[in-house]
Amino acid sequence: MTTDEAKFILCAFRPSGRDTGDSAFGEALRFAGEDPVLGAWFAQSRAHDGAVAGKLGLVSPPPGLREAILAGVRAGDSRTSVGLGWGWIAGLAAAAAVAIGVFSMRAPGRPDSGTSAYAGFAINDMVSEKHGGRGEPAGALVAELQAKGSKMPGADQIDFEKLRDTGCRTVNFAGHDVIEVCFVRDGALFHLYVTRRDGPVSDSVAGGPSFIAEAAGAAAVWSDRRFDYAVASTAGIEALRKLL
Amino acid sequence: MNNEAFAELVDAHYAPLYRFALSLSRNGSDAGDLVQQTFFIWATKGHGLRELSKAKSWLFTTLYREFLRGRRRDSRSSSLEDLPAGEREPVAEDVDRVSRMDAALVMAALQTVDETFRAPLTLFYLEDMSYQEIADALEVPIGTVMSRLSRGKSQLRIALERTESLGPKVLPFPTTKGTRAS
Repeated sequence: MTTDEAKFILCAFRPSGRDTGDSAFGEALRFAGEDPVLGAWFAQSRAHDGAVAGKLGLVSPPPGLREAILAGVRAGDSRTSVGLGWGWIAGLAAAAAVAIGVFSMRAPGRPDSGTSAYAGFAINDMVSEKHGGRGEPAGALVAELQAKGSKMPGADQIDFEKLRDTGCRTVNFAGHDVIEVCFVRDGALFHLYVTRRDGPVSDSVAGGPSFIAEAAGAAAVWSDRRFDYAVASTAGIEALRKLL
Repeated sequence: MNNEAFAELVDAHYAPLYRFALSLSRNGSDAGDLVQQTFFIWATKGHGLRELSKAKSWLFTTLYREFLRGRRRDSRSSSLEDLPAGEREPVAEDVDRVSRMDAALVMAALQTVDETFRAPLTLFYLEDMSYQEIADALEVPIGTVMSRLSRGKSQLRIALERTESLGPKVLPFPTTKGTRAS
Protein backbone atom coordinates (compact mmCIF):
# COMPACT_ATOMS: atom_id res chain seq x y z
CA MET A 1 0.00 0.00 0.00
CA THR A 2 1.31 3.43 -0.91
CA THR A 3 0.83 6.60 1.09
CA ASP A 4 -1.67 7.90 -1.45
CA GLU A 5 -3.66 4.68 -1.31
CA ALA A 6 -3.72 4.87 2.47
CA LYS A 7 -4.91 8.47 2.36
CA PHE A 8 -7.61 7.54 -0.11
CA ILE A 9 -8.98 4.88 2.22
CA LEU A 10 -8.57 6.90 5.40
CA CYS A 11 -10.66 9.71 3.92
CA ALA A 12 -13.65 7.44 4.51
CA PHE A 13 -12.77 6.89 8.17
CA ARG A 14 -15.52 8.50 10.21
CA PRO A 15 -14.59 11.26 12.64
CA SER A 16 -16.44 9.43 15.42
CA GLY A 17 -13.91 6.58 15.20
CA ARG A 18 -16.63 3.99 14.69
CA ASP A 19 -14.67 2.42 11.84
CA THR A 20 -11.77 1.32 14.03
CA GLY A 21 -12.84 -2.32 13.90
CA ASP A 22 -13.57 -2.33 10.17
CA SER A 23 -11.05 -4.55 8.42
CA ALA A 24 -11.21 -2.38 5.32
CA PHE A 25 -9.25 0.27 7.22
CA GLY A 26 -6.85 -2.15 8.96
CA GLU A 27 -3.86 -1.90 6.68
CA ALA A 28 -4.19 1.84 6.18
CA LEU A 29 -4.46 2.40 9.94
CA ARG A 30 -1.38 0.28 10.57
CA PHE A 31 0.47 2.25 7.93
CA ALA A 32 -0.56 5.54 9.56
CA GLY A 33 0.67 4.21 12.89
CA GLU A 34 4.06 3.38 11.47
CA ASP A 35 4.62 6.37 9.21
CA PRO A 36 4.89 9.67 11.20
CA VAL A 37 4.12 11.81 8.16
CA LEU A 38 1.03 9.84 7.26
CA GLY A 39 0.10 9.68 10.93
CA ALA A 40 0.26 13.49 11.20
CA TRP A 41 -1.81 13.83 8.04
CA PHE A 42 -4.42 11.45 9.43
CA ALA A 43 -4.59 13.31 12.75
CA GLN A 44 -5.03 16.61 10.93
CA SER A 45 -7.67 15.16 8.68
CA ARG A 46 -9.65 13.71 11.58
CA ALA A 47 -9.47 16.97 13.53
CA HIS A 48 -10.81 18.81 10.51
CA ASP A 49 -13.56 16.24 9.98
CA GLY A 50 -14.57 16.48 13.62
CA ALA A 51 -14.72 20.28 13.47
CA VAL A 52 -16.84 20.27 10.32
CA ALA A 53 -19.19 17.58 11.64
CA GLY A 54 -19.62 19.50 14.88
CA LYS A 55 -20.50 22.74 13.12
CA LEU A 56 -22.90 21.18 10.64
CA GLY A 57 -24.70 19.39 13.44
CA LEU A 58 -25.74 22.79 14.80
CA VAL A 59 -27.91 23.55 11.77
CA SER A 60 -31.56 23.21 12.80
CA PRO A 61 -34.67 22.67 10.72
CA PRO A 62 -37.05 25.62 10.53
CA PRO A 63 -39.79 25.83 13.15
CA GLY A 64 -43.02 24.33 11.90
CA LEU A 65 -41.47 21.77 9.54
CA ARG A 66 -42.37 18.85 11.78
CA GLU A 67 -45.95 20.08 12.04
CA ALA A 68 -46.13 20.61 8.29
CA ILE A 69 -44.95 17.04 7.67
CA LEU A 70 -47.53 15.58 10.02
CA ALA A 71 -50.31 17.75 8.64
CA GLY A 72 -49.46 16.90 5.07
CA VAL A 73 -49.31 13.17 5.62
CA ARG A 74 -52.43 13.17 7.74
CA ALA A 75 -54.26 14.64 4.82
CA GLY A 76 -53.32 11.61 2.76
CA ASP A 77 -53.77 13.22 -0.61
CA SER A 78 -51.44 12.07 -3.37
CA ARG A 79 -52.33 14.83 -5.80
CA THR A 80 -49.34 16.95 -4.82
CA SER A 81 -45.82 16.87 -6.14
CA VAL A 82 -42.50 18.17 -4.94
CA GLY A 83 -41.43 21.63 -5.92
CA LEU A 84 -44.68 23.43 -5.30
CA GLY A 85 -43.43 25.15 -2.18
CA TRP A 86 -44.73 25.00 1.34
CA GLY A 87 -48.14 25.86 0.03
CA TRP A 88 -48.77 22.31 -1.08
CA ILE A 89 -49.58 21.52 2.53
CA ALA A 90 -52.51 23.85 2.21
CA GLY A 91 -54.00 21.72 -0.52
CA LEU A 92 -53.49 18.57 1.48
CA ALA A 93 -54.96 20.08 4.59
CA ALA A 94 -57.99 21.20 2.62
CA ALA A 95 -58.55 17.68 1.42
CA ALA A 96 -58.25 16.44 4.99
CA ALA A 97 -60.71 18.98 6.22
CA VAL A 98 -63.25 17.90 3.64
CA ALA A 99 -62.72 14.25 4.48
CA ILE A 100 -62.98 14.70 8.24
CA GLY A 101 -65.72 17.24 8.48
CA VAL A 102 -65.86 20.98 8.03
CA PHE A 103 -68.29 23.45 9.52
CA SER A 104 -68.62 27.04 8.51
CA MET A 105 -70.75 29.72 10.11
CA ARG A 106 -70.62 31.99 7.12
CA ALA A 107 -71.30 29.74 4.23
CA PRO A 108 -72.44 26.16 3.81
CA GLY A 109 -69.53 25.35 1.47
CA ARG A 110 -66.13 24.15 2.57
CA PRO A 111 -63.52 26.68 3.73
CA ASP A 112 -60.78 27.51 1.31
CA SER A 113 -57.42 25.79 1.53
CA GLY A 114 -55.75 28.63 3.42
CA THR A 115 -58.32 28.41 6.20
CA SER A 116 -58.02 24.65 6.43
CA ALA A 117 -54.24 24.73 6.38
CA TYR A 118 -54.11 27.33 9.12
CA ALA A 119 -56.60 25.37 11.23
CA GLY A 120 -54.63 22.17 10.69
CA PHE A 121 -51.46 23.92 11.68
CA ALA A 122 -53.08 25.22 14.88
CA ILE A 123 -54.46 21.80 15.83
CA ASN A 124 -51.15 20.09 15.17
CA ASP A 125 -49.25 22.65 17.17
CA MET A 126 -51.75 22.29 19.98
CA VAL A 127 -51.23 18.54 20.25
CA SER A 128 -47.45 18.97 20.23
CA GLU A 129 -47.87 20.32 23.78
CA LYS A 130 -45.21 22.99 23.44
CA HIS A 131 -47.20 25.94 24.55
CA GLY A 132 -47.36 29.05 26.63
CA GLY A 133 -46.73 32.70 25.86
CA ARG A 134 -44.10 34.47 27.89
CA GLY A 135 -43.20 38.04 28.54
CA GLU A 136 -45.22 40.77 30.18
CA PRO A 137 -47.29 41.72 27.09
CA ALA A 138 -48.17 38.06 26.57
CA GLY A 139 -49.22 37.82 30.19
CA ALA A 140 -51.50 40.81 29.78
CA LEU A 141 -53.05 39.28 26.68
CA VAL A 142 -53.64 35.97 28.45
CA ALA A 143 -55.31 37.82 31.32
CA GLU A 144 -57.68 39.50 28.86
CA LEU A 145 -58.43 36.22 27.14
CA GLN A 146 -59.21 34.50 30.41
CA ALA A 147 -61.63 37.19 31.56
CA LYS A 148 -65.06 35.61 31.70
CA GLY A 149 -67.26 36.72 28.85
CA SER A 150 -64.57 38.60 26.93
CA LYS A 151 -64.42 38.23 23.18
CA MET A 152 -61.35 37.34 21.16
CA PRO A 153 -59.03 40.30 20.60
CA GLY A 154 -58.96 42.24 17.35
CA ALA A 155 -56.41 44.19 15.38
CA ASP A 156 -56.41 47.09 17.83
CA GLN A 157 -55.70 44.88 20.83
CA ILE A 158 -52.76 42.97 19.36
CA ASP A 159 -49.28 44.49 19.18
CA PHE A 160 -47.77 41.69 17.16
CA GLU A 161 -44.20 42.92 17.07
CA LYS A 162 -44.14 43.74 20.76
CA LEU A 163 -45.51 40.34 21.71
CA ARG A 164 -43.05 38.54 19.48
CA ASP A 165 -40.07 40.59 20.52
CA THR A 166 -40.73 40.29 24.23
CA GLY A 167 -40.68 36.51 24.32
CA CYS A 168 -44.16 35.42 23.38
CA ARG A 169 -43.92 31.94 21.94
CA THR A 170 -43.38 32.29 18.20
CA VAL A 171 -43.72 29.44 15.73
CA ASN A 172 -43.51 29.31 11.97
CA PHE A 173 -46.23 28.55 9.49
CA ALA A 174 -45.44 28.55 5.78
CA GLY A 175 -42.46 30.77 6.45
CA HIS A 176 -44.31 33.32 8.56
CA ASP A 177 -44.16 34.11 12.25
CA VAL A 178 -47.14 33.07 14.30
CA ILE A 179 -47.44 34.06 17.94
CA GLU A 180 -49.21 31.70 20.29
CA VAL A 181 -50.66 32.03 23.76
CA CYS A 182 -52.59 29.57 25.89
CA PHE A 183 -55.53 30.51 28.04
CA VAL A 184 -58.21 28.83 30.10
CA ARG A 185 -61.88 29.72 29.84
CA ASP A 186 -64.65 27.91 31.73
CA GLY A 187 -62.27 25.12 32.64
CA ALA A 188 -61.17 24.40 29.06
CA LEU A 189 -57.73 25.08 27.60
CA PHE A 190 -57.47 27.07 24.36
CA HIS A 191 -54.55 28.08 22.14
CA LEU A 192 -54.71 31.34 20.21
CA TYR A 193 -52.55 31.79 17.11
CA VAL A 194 -52.06 35.14 15.40
CA THR A 195 -50.15 35.90 12.22
CA ARG A 196 -49.99 39.00 10.06
CA ARG A 197 -52.04 39.16 6.89
CA ASP A 198 -49.03 39.30 4.60
CA GLY A 199 -48.42 35.65 3.83
CA PRO A 200 -49.87 32.78 1.87
CA VAL A 201 -52.51 32.13 4.48
CA SER A 202 -53.98 35.57 4.03
CA ASP A 203 -54.39 35.08 0.32
CA SER A 204 -57.31 32.87 0.99
CA VAL A 205 -58.47 33.40 4.57
CA ALA A 206 -61.16 36.04 4.52
CA GLY A 207 -63.47 37.04 7.31
CA GLY A 208 -64.82 34.04 9.11
CA PRO A 209 -65.05 32.48 11.50
CA SER A 210 -64.84 29.00 10.04
CA PHE A 211 -64.80 25.93 12.26
CA ILE A 212 -62.82 22.83 11.47
CA ALA A 213 -62.90 19.59 13.43
CA GLU A 214 -60.25 16.89 13.30
CA ALA A 215 -59.72 13.81 15.39
CA ALA A 216 -57.15 15.59 17.55
CA GLY A 217 -59.22 18.70 18.20
CA ALA A 218 -61.04 21.61 16.63
CA ALA A 219 -60.11 25.08 15.51
CA ALA A 220 -61.83 28.30 14.60
CA VAL A 221 -60.18 30.52 11.98
CA TRP A 222 -61.02 34.13 11.20
CA SER A 223 -59.33 37.31 10.12
CA ASP A 224 -59.56 41.06 10.35
CA ARG A 225 -57.81 43.88 8.56
CA ARG A 226 -54.41 43.09 10.10
CA PHE A 227 -54.28 39.52 11.28
CA ASP A 228 -55.30 35.93 10.65
CA TYR A 229 -56.41 34.21 13.84
CA ALA A 230 -56.88 30.60 14.84
CA VAL A 231 -57.96 29.28 18.19
CA ALA A 232 -57.63 25.56 18.82
CA SER A 233 -58.88 23.34 21.59
CA THR A 234 -59.84 19.78 22.41
CA ALA A 235 -63.03 21.11 24.00
CA GLY A 236 -64.97 20.97 20.74
CA ILE A 237 -66.57 23.37 18.31
CA GLU A 238 -69.31 24.53 20.68
CA ALA A 239 -66.68 25.69 23.16
CA LEU A 240 -64.97 27.58 20.36
CA ARG A 241 -68.22 29.21 19.28
CA LYS A 242 -68.70 30.61 22.77
CA LEU A 243 -65.40 32.46 22.51
CA LEU A 244 -66.33 34.40 19.40
CA MET B 1 -48.41 2.58 10.80
CA ASN B 2 -50.51 4.52 13.28
CA ASN B 3 -50.22 8.25 13.88
CA GLU B 4 -48.12 7.88 16.99
CA ALA B 5 -45.60 5.60 15.31
CA PHE B 6 -45.43 7.89 12.32
CA ALA B 7 -44.85 10.91 14.57
CA GLU B 8 -42.01 9.01 16.23
CA LEU B 9 -40.50 8.28 12.84
CA VAL B 10 -40.74 11.95 11.90
CA ASP B 11 -39.21 13.04 15.20
CA ALA B 12 -36.30 10.66 14.76
CA HIS B 13 -35.40 11.62 11.22
CA TYR B 14 -36.80 14.95 10.07
CA ALA B 15 -33.94 17.09 11.37
CA PRO B 16 -31.11 15.06 9.78
CA LEU B 17 -33.14 14.73 6.60
CA TYR B 18 -33.57 18.50 6.53
CA ARG B 19 -29.83 19.06 6.89
CA PHE B 20 -29.20 16.61 4.08
CA ALA B 21 -31.82 18.30 1.92
CA LEU B 22 -30.44 21.74 2.73
CA SER B 23 -26.96 20.75 1.64
CA LEU B 24 -28.35 19.36 -1.62
CA SER B 25 -30.90 22.00 -2.54
CA ARG B 26 -29.02 25.00 -1.08
CA ASN B 27 -32.36 26.55 -0.25
CA GLY B 28 -34.32 26.28 2.99
CA SER B 29 -37.70 26.27 1.35
CA ASP B 30 -36.78 23.58 -1.17
CA ALA B 31 -35.20 21.56 1.63
CA GLY B 32 -38.45 21.70 3.59
CA ASP B 33 -40.37 20.54 0.53
CA LEU B 34 -37.99 17.64 -0.02
CA VAL B 35 -38.35 16.44 3.56
CA GLN B 36 -42.13 16.71 3.43
CA GLN B 37 -42.26 14.89 0.13
CA THR B 38 -40.04 12.12 1.48
CA PHE B 39 -42.31 11.46 4.45
CA PHE B 40 -45.34 11.73 2.24
CA ILE B 41 -43.94 8.98 0.01
CA TRP B 42 -43.24 6.88 3.08
CA ALA B 43 -46.82 7.27 4.23
CA THR B 44 -48.41 6.56 0.89
CA LYS B 45 -46.32 3.81 -0.68
CA GLY B 46 -46.61 0.74 1.44
CA HIS B 47 -44.30 1.61 4.31
CA GLY B 48 -45.74 -1.33 6.23
CA LEU B 49 -43.88 -3.69 3.92
CA ARG B 50 -40.52 -2.32 4.91
CA GLU B 51 -38.53 -3.08 8.01
CA LEU B 52 -38.48 -0.17 10.41
CA SER B 53 -34.82 -0.83 11.10
CA LYS B 54 -34.14 0.18 7.53
CA ALA B 55 -36.27 3.30 7.68
CA LYS B 56 -33.34 5.69 7.99
CA SER B 57 -31.58 4.39 4.91
CA TRP B 58 -34.86 4.27 2.99
CA LEU B 59 -35.69 7.87 3.88
CA PHE B 60 -32.29 9.20 2.83
CA THR B 61 -32.35 7.23 -0.40
CA THR B 62 -35.83 8.46 -1.21
CA LEU B 63 -34.97 12.07 -0.45
CA TYR B 64 -31.92 11.85 -2.68
CA ARG B 65 -33.98 10.32 -5.49
CA GLU B 66 -36.55 13.06 -5.14
CA PHE B 67 -33.83 15.68 -5.25
CA LEU B 68 -32.37 14.20 -8.43
CA ARG B 69 -35.85 13.94 -9.93
CA GLY B 70 -36.50 17.59 -9.13
CA ARG B 71 -33.17 18.64 -10.56
CA ARG B 72 -33.90 16.95 -13.84
CA ARG B 73 -37.20 18.81 -13.96
CA ASP B 74 -35.81 22.18 -12.91
CA SER B 75 -33.20 23.50 -15.29
CA ARG B 76 -32.62 26.49 -13.02
CA SER B 77 -30.64 24.38 -10.62
CA SER B 78 -28.40 22.84 -13.23
CA SER B 79 -25.57 25.29 -12.79
CA LEU B 80 -23.07 24.34 -10.13
CA GLU B 81 -20.25 26.26 -8.61
CA ASP B 82 -17.06 25.74 -10.48
CA LEU B 83 -14.72 24.71 -7.75
CA PRO B 84 -11.42 23.13 -8.70
CA ALA B 85 -11.27 19.37 -8.22
CA GLY B 86 -7.58 19.42 -7.39
CA GLU B 87 -5.99 18.08 -4.26
CA ARG B 88 -5.97 20.20 -1.14
CA GLU B 89 -4.20 18.60 1.80
CA PRO B 90 -5.47 19.33 5.33
CA VAL B 91 -3.37 21.76 7.33
CA ALA B 92 -3.64 23.02 10.91
CA GLU B 93 -5.14 26.30 9.76
CA ASP B 94 -8.14 24.42 8.35
CA VAL B 95 -9.25 23.27 11.79
CA ASP B 96 -8.82 26.76 13.25
CA ARG B 97 -10.82 28.20 10.37
CA VAL B 98 -13.76 25.88 10.93
CA SER B 99 -13.68 26.65 14.66
CA ARG B 100 -13.92 30.37 13.91
CA MET B 101 -16.85 30.01 11.51
CA ASP B 102 -20.43 29.63 12.61
CA ALA B 103 -22.56 26.71 11.50
CA ALA B 104 -24.36 28.67 8.80
CA LEU B 105 -21.10 29.60 7.11
CA VAL B 106 -19.83 26.03 7.22
CA MET B 107 -23.08 24.87 5.65
CA ALA B 108 -22.75 27.64 3.05
CA ALA B 109 -19.30 26.35 2.16
CA LEU B 110 -20.56 22.79 1.90
CA GLN B 111 -23.32 23.96 -0.42
CA THR B 112 -20.75 25.23 -2.91
CA VAL B 113 -19.09 21.83 -3.26
CA ASP B 114 -20.03 19.97 -6.42
CA GLU B 115 -23.27 18.11 -5.96
CA THR B 116 -21.63 14.79 -6.77
CA PHE B 117 -19.40 15.14 -3.74
CA ARG B 118 -21.82 17.05 -1.55
CA ALA B 119 -24.27 14.20 -0.98
CA PRO B 120 -21.74 11.69 0.39
CA LEU B 121 -19.96 14.41 2.35
CA THR B 122 -23.18 15.42 4.05
CA LEU B 123 -24.03 11.87 5.04
CA PHE B 124 -20.46 11.38 6.25
CA TYR B 125 -20.33 14.53 8.36
CA LEU B 126 -23.89 14.95 9.48
CA GLU B 127 -25.07 11.39 9.83
CA ASP B 128 -21.82 9.70 10.70
CA MET B 129 -22.67 7.14 8.04
CA SER B 130 -20.07 4.56 7.08
CA TYR B 131 -18.89 4.30 3.48
CA GLN B 132 -21.08 1.20 3.16
CA GLU B 133 -24.16 3.02 4.46
CA ILE B 134 -23.50 5.95 2.14
CA ALA B 135 -23.13 3.56 -0.78
CA ASP B 136 -26.48 2.01 0.10
CA ALA B 137 -28.23 5.34 0.55
CA LEU B 138 -26.95 6.88 -2.67
CA GLU B 139 -27.01 3.60 -4.59
CA VAL B 140 -23.42 3.83 -5.78
CA PRO B 141 -20.45 1.43 -5.39
CA ILE B 142 -18.24 1.61 -2.30
CA GLY B 143 -15.20 2.66 -4.32
CA THR B 144 -17.17 5.54 -5.76
CA VAL B 145 -18.10 6.68 -2.28
CA MET B 146 -14.47 6.65 -1.16
CA SER B 147 -13.40 8.56 -4.22
CA ARG B 148 -16.12 11.16 -3.77
CA LEU B 149 -15.30 11.59 -0.09
CA SER B 150 -11.64 12.14 -0.89
CA ARG B 151 -12.26 14.66 -3.63
CA GLY B 152 -15.17 16.25 -1.82
CA LYS B 153 -13.12 16.92 1.29
CA SER B 154 -10.50 18.59 -0.83
CA GLN B 155 -13.15 20.83 -2.40
CA LEU B 156 -14.67 21.57 0.97
CA ARG B 157 -11.36 22.83 2.38
CA ILE B 158 -11.06 25.22 -0.53
CA ALA B 159 -14.69 26.24 -0.15
CA LEU B 160 -14.29 26.91 3.58
CA GLU B 161 -11.29 29.10 2.90
CA ARG B 162 -13.17 31.00 0.20
CA THR B 163 -16.37 31.33 2.23
CA GLU B 164 -14.59 32.69 5.27
CA SER B 165 -12.88 35.31 3.19
CA LEU B 166 -16.25 36.39 1.75
CA GLY B 167 -17.89 36.60 5.15
CA PRO B 168 -21.54 36.16 6.06
CA LYS B 169 -22.83 37.89 2.91
CA VAL B 170 -22.95 34.52 1.17
CA LEU B 171 -25.43 33.03 3.65
CA PRO B 172 -27.91 31.08 1.54
CA PHE B 173 -30.39 29.78 4.10
CA PRO B 174 -32.51 31.20 6.90
CA THR B 175 -31.45 30.80 10.48
CA THR B 176 -33.77 29.06 12.86
CA LYS B 177 -35.79 31.33 15.05
CA GLY B 178 -36.90 28.53 17.30
CA THR B 179 -39.47 28.20 19.96
CA ARG B 180 -38.98 30.60 22.79
CA ALA B 181 -41.17 29.03 25.37
CA SER B 182 -42.39 25.61 26.27
